[in-house]
Amino acid sequence: MRRYGAGAVLLPAVLFALLPWLATGAAADEIRVRAQVDRSEMSEGEDVRLIVEIAGPGLDRVGPPDVHDLGDFTLSGGPSVSSRFQWINGVSTSSKTYTYALTPNRSGNLTIPALAILAQGRTYRTNPVEVEVHPQGTVRTPFASPSQSPPQPSNPPPAGGRRAGAAPAALRIRSEVDRREVYVGQQVTLKVVLDTQSEILSHGPAESPSFPGFWAEEITLPERTEVRRVSIDGEPWYEITLMKRALFPTTAGALSIPPVAWQVQVRRRSADPFESFFFTPTEMVTRRSDPVTLKVLPLPAAGRPPGFSGAVGSFTLSVAADRTESRVNDAVGLKVRVAGEGNLGSAAPPGLGDLVDFKTFDPKITSNTTLQADRLRSEKVWDYVVIPLAPGSQTIPPVNFAYFDPETRAYRTVTSKALPIQVARGEAIAGGPSVAGLPQSDIRLLRRDIHYLKAAPGGLQARSVPFHRTPWFVALCLAPMLADVGILAWARTRDLSPQASRSRRERRARAAARRRLAHARRLMKPASAHPFYASVAQALTDYVGDKFHAAGAGLTHERIEALLAERGVPDDRRAAFHRCLEACDFARFAPSSSDDAAMRSALASAEEAIAGVERSLDR
Amino acid sequence: MRRGAIPLLLVLLAGAGAGAIAAATEPPQVLFDRAGAAYREGKFDEAAKAYESILADGVDDARVHYNLANAYFKLGRLGPAILEYERCLRLDPSDDEARDNLALARGLLRDKMSEPELQYPVRVLKETIESLPSGVLAGGFLVFWFVAWGTAGFVPVTASWVRRRLLGYGACALGLVALTFGAALLYQMRQESAGIGIVMADRVDVRSGPGEGNTVLFTVHEGTRMELRHSVEAWTQVSLPNGLSGWVPARSVERV
Repeated sequence: MRRYGAGAVLLPAVLFALLPWLATGAAADEIRVRAQVDRSEMSEGEDVRLIVEIAGPGLDRVGPPDVHDLGDFTLSGGPSVSSRFQWINGVSTSSKTYTYALTPNRSGNLTIPALAILAQGRTYRTNPVEVEVHPQGTVRTPFASPSQSPPQPSNPPPAGGRRAGAAPAALRIRSEVDRREVYVGQQVTLKVVLDTQSEILSHGPAESPSFPGFWAEEITLPERTEVRRVSIDGEPWYEITLMKRALFPTTAGALSIPPVAWQVQVRRRSADPFESFFFTPTEMVTRRSDPVTLKVLPLPAAGRPPGFSGAVGSFTLSVAADRTESRVNDAVGLKVRVAGEGNLGSAAPPGLGDLVDFKTFDPKITSNTTLQADRLRSEKVWDYVVIPLAPGSQTIPPVNFAYFDPETRAYRTVTSKALPIQVARGEAIAGGPSVAGLPQSDIRLLRRDIHYLKAAPGGLQARSVPFHRTPWFVALCLAPMLADVGILAWARTRDLSPQASRSRRERRARAAARRRLAHARRLMKPASAHPFYASVAQALTDYVGDKFHAAGAGLTHERIEALLAERGVPDDRRAAFHRCLEACDFARFAPSSSDDAAMRSALASAEEAIAGVERSLDR
Repeated sequence: MRRGAIPLLLVLLAGAGAGAIAAATEPPQVLFDRAGAAYREGKFDEAAKAYESILADGVDDARVHYNLANAYFKLGRLGPAILEYERCLRLDPSDDEARDNLALARGLLRDKMSEPELQYPVRVLKETIESLPSGVLAGGFLVFWFVAWGTAGFVPVTASWVRRRLLGYGACALGLVALTFGAALLYQMRQESAGIGIVMADRVDVRSGPGEGNTVLFTVHEGTRMELRHSVEAWTQVSLPNGLSGWVPARSVERV
């Protein structure tokens, strides 16, 4: 492919040079063959291009030249074949070209022997071609100067477009990567190379290169352009490094590095010796590299440490405090530095762990990248300020930084040493007894875990049905209810006896008297004075009858007196009771003298009389 | 050589047999201590096996369930751990540590279950009742029940109306206290007999009916707590606190 491409570039120029001859040859209506080389002078180790031209009608039955014997040359490539058909003034001509790359076996004046071609049953022979081969290193390179001026792609080509008869520039752009399979975040070095056989005057990117899906860092090229002479398929080429980038894939999967377009100003080979001598025929060509596809592997999930920072590469960690002794509330500076090969752009800060007795502030972050042998080296520094809150021997616990090492395909964790810090009491406390006290804070729960095991010092309990689920529990619930029913029944039976009946009557005497007095109160009107006083008198008499188990109807005032005296009611109360009864009798038979106030007074005296007797009996 | 080997083999076999018998008849307390030692050494698998064999031996102690749950938790088996914490709390509702651990384990589950929010007094009452051991409730109920009925028993035999009234009021008040204890006890007993199950499989599809052919309504994961309603063949109807319900294979849930 590459070989064919190179041949195709030269071919039009050769054919153009041969046109007058072809025209006459075609007119002769017979087959003509001719051999030609792209240069007559060359250096040992280089290749020469041999072009065999066959022209004439009916070339479909023409075989390739016999290249078994090439004399002092060895076939190193080819053939690339091209055909051409023309119709001029009613006459058709066709031509076929075979292009070979030949390597001289020695230096000196060498001859490419005549080659036999079988066409339409006849054998034709090409003309032998002479080539002068110089010993190696005596031919100058095609570059005007290894150090190129800065490229100016916008400048028009000094000599305009391609001229008739000019040879096309033999150059191409390649994108090279140092590896095709990488992990996310691992460096891939992209090198864009120009291969040329033409003299380069200037070059520059045709468009600003972009790398979607990558974090790109430019690798600065040395001021002096790197030009390397290489042999590609046996031909001498010059290799110029145009651009280098350190690329870090940001996502997994098949990622493609897009083509890079470059504009190159080359010295054109001119067929016109006059032009070649007096001018510098140049040409501006744009070439584009092929895209490169990378296989980007995701970081393995297995073995990922909990505090993984996301960094990929190889790193070291150092933690340093700016002092080892401090006071409460005096800030201590902590510098956490991670450095190494790889990209730390998005690396998470290594946590300081649980600093219970310190107050911490967000760190100040500084980062720096350098390139060593095309590898990106990063350094990131987190400057923390921590303030001790409690005096004594405090410790900054070890800091961990976990990263993925793509070389060993494993996660690694680098750990710093614990830093002891001796914290003295603050100024105010050391000053005297009138101190402000230590800064207080809530006790922080660092982590949660389950409570620990339980012991069973008193032995283990066997599986059993709880008491409240047994029938005994129900029985126990029913027992007091049944007992109360029994008590109630017994009490009822007891109440039915004459003794009980008497005592019940006695017990209820006051309540009965109160009911009767209430009835009398309803009659308390001048119109019903008689029934009112009768009711009051009845209430008093019945009360005594109930209380002393006597028939109320047969109770006279004297009998009542005697009964009250019998039960030890004091004289004054007895007299009050008696007065009350008499007042009622008097009012009953002389109703004209009674008014509302007298009735109210009679009712109050009756209540008082009963209460007085009741109090006397209770004593 | 062969003559010497046979008796040796017999001795070894007898020794192994004796060892097996000793292991089988080991007292639960010894096994409990050994399980604790294994747990301390970080051999959670061994500890879990020992606690399981204690329970299989007829012991039903809240502390064994608790310790077994801890061992499961450390092994990362959240479903069995939650089941055992629930069983521990059923035996001893006053165990705050088990309650804490259960809450922690539930926090690690795949399914987040939001229970209906209760009013403050209702929540406090519920938590109080649930935290009291059923033995205490049963004892309190019995004491107040006896005293209330005893007081009521004095009423018919008391002559004074004032005393009768006082005794009557006292009996009613004591009876109310006894009934409060009784209601709390009944609530606990109802909770205990309610079919609560824990999902044991990694994930279970809950279907609209008992059978693989029914529509999958939703999916639950290990450790989710569900109410078990009734079973049809190898399928159980379940419902979640948020009101969702469906059918799951009976083997995928374990009754507390």
